[in-house]
Amino acid sequence: MQTTYKPTTDALIGVLLDDVALTVEELARACAVEPEWVVQRVRTGILLDGANQDSGWRFTSVDLVRARRLRDIEITFDANDELAALVVDLSDEVRRLKARLSATGVD
Amino acid sequence: MDYKDYYQALGVEKSATADEIKKAYRKLVRKYHPDVSKEPDADKRTKELNEAYGVLGDAEKRAAYDEVGSGQQAGQEFRPPPGWGGGYEAPSGDDSDFFADLFAHVGGRRGGAGGGAGFQMRGEDSHASISISLADAYNGASRTIVLRVPQRDAQGRATSTERTLNVTIPKGVTAGQQLRLGGQGQPGHGGAPAGDLYLEIEFAPDARYRLEGRDVYQTVPVTPWEAALGAQIDVVTPSGTVQVTVPEKSQTGRKLRLKGRGIPGASAGDLYLLLEVVLPLADTARARELYETMARELAFNPRQKMGA
Repeated sequence: MQTTYKPTTDALIGVLLDDVALTVEELARACAVEPEWVVQRVRTGILLDGANQDSGWRFTSVDLVRARRLRDIEITFDANDELAALVVDLSDEVRRLKARLSATGVD
Repeated sequence: MDYKDYYQALGVEKSATADEIKKAYRKLVRKYHPDVSKEPDADKRTKELNEAYGVLGDAEKRAAYDEVGSGQQAGQEFRPPPGWGGGYEAPSGDDSDFFADLFAHVGGRRGGAGGGAGFQMRGEDSHASISISLADAYNGASRTIVLRVPQRDAQGRATSTERTLNVTIPKGVTAGQQLRLGGQGQPGHGGAPAGDLYLEIEFAPDARYRLEGRDVYQTVPVTPWEAALGAQIDVVTPSGTVQVTVPEKSQTGRKLRLKGRGIPGASAGDLYLLLEVVLPLADTARARELYETMARELAFNPRQKMGA
């Protein structure tokens, strides 16, 4: 038996992850990974860099996007987590610089 | 919908091994990755590659693709056979990707295959992007998206239902933010709840504006006399027409900051106006005369600092 969806004729109001952040379990589910995958990457500073190492971890939009990119690179290129993080960091920097150039009218 | 040849997209034979497919994907995705590629269509190609590898890189999805795709040619109109559920969410009006339309339900099949009496499994979370305009971010908006949701009939055959969702986009969203719609992901099994649907906010390109977080950049053309003498000018901004003071002695590239007129939020962004001095053409006798008068009387040498 499958879940029956609730009627959806009314407008759905989504929740911005930056207003209500995800727990470890919710982030893991959104990335289709085990919670331990998330925990390991927080403990090594790959996710939530600088976070309290013990508890209270909450994840916003930026973390979800980053976690999914990390997972994709790890799987696609058989990369270890540190290498995947390096690729994502470099890619983020390229995007940031491109956005900066574009903002100032240089394409 | 048109049939897409994923083997062709990855440049491999239909008989390619999983390893060959992976190698081909790795090579091409590095070549066309939008962060490094100079190819003009890099972004589009990367999406195509990801879509193709999303199917061919998964044995089960590849088998399903081969099953429905036999005899099809790339670009040929494709009608899913009866019993095939659609799969995934696609913003209405956008090009939904072929894989999403046909094969995302395979994950549901996988869950269902192991399901005996009492088997329960929460539905998978789904991800999609939703394209909005800058005006939508300033004012909030609603968007209609169509979901093709996999279902199973009483005989266990795959079917699909189409659901239309009206989604409210809150005011003040920025690119990359994730909007979570609880219970709108893949259906659960055995009475378990459905997964969630995550929508990533994307901005439709708009030649008038450039974005950096909540800050908005806009180029504003001004005349030489407005730039030289200063002026009050009307500028159409994302939040309406505003009157702006152009300071005297302005040059192209001067940046005017309108605090708090970027994308709204608890910490609203700023709007930056980049002045661009535009010269009138000397295309009439009178215009030529005016330029000649300036040339004669201003003794202006913009290359003086270069030693000229």
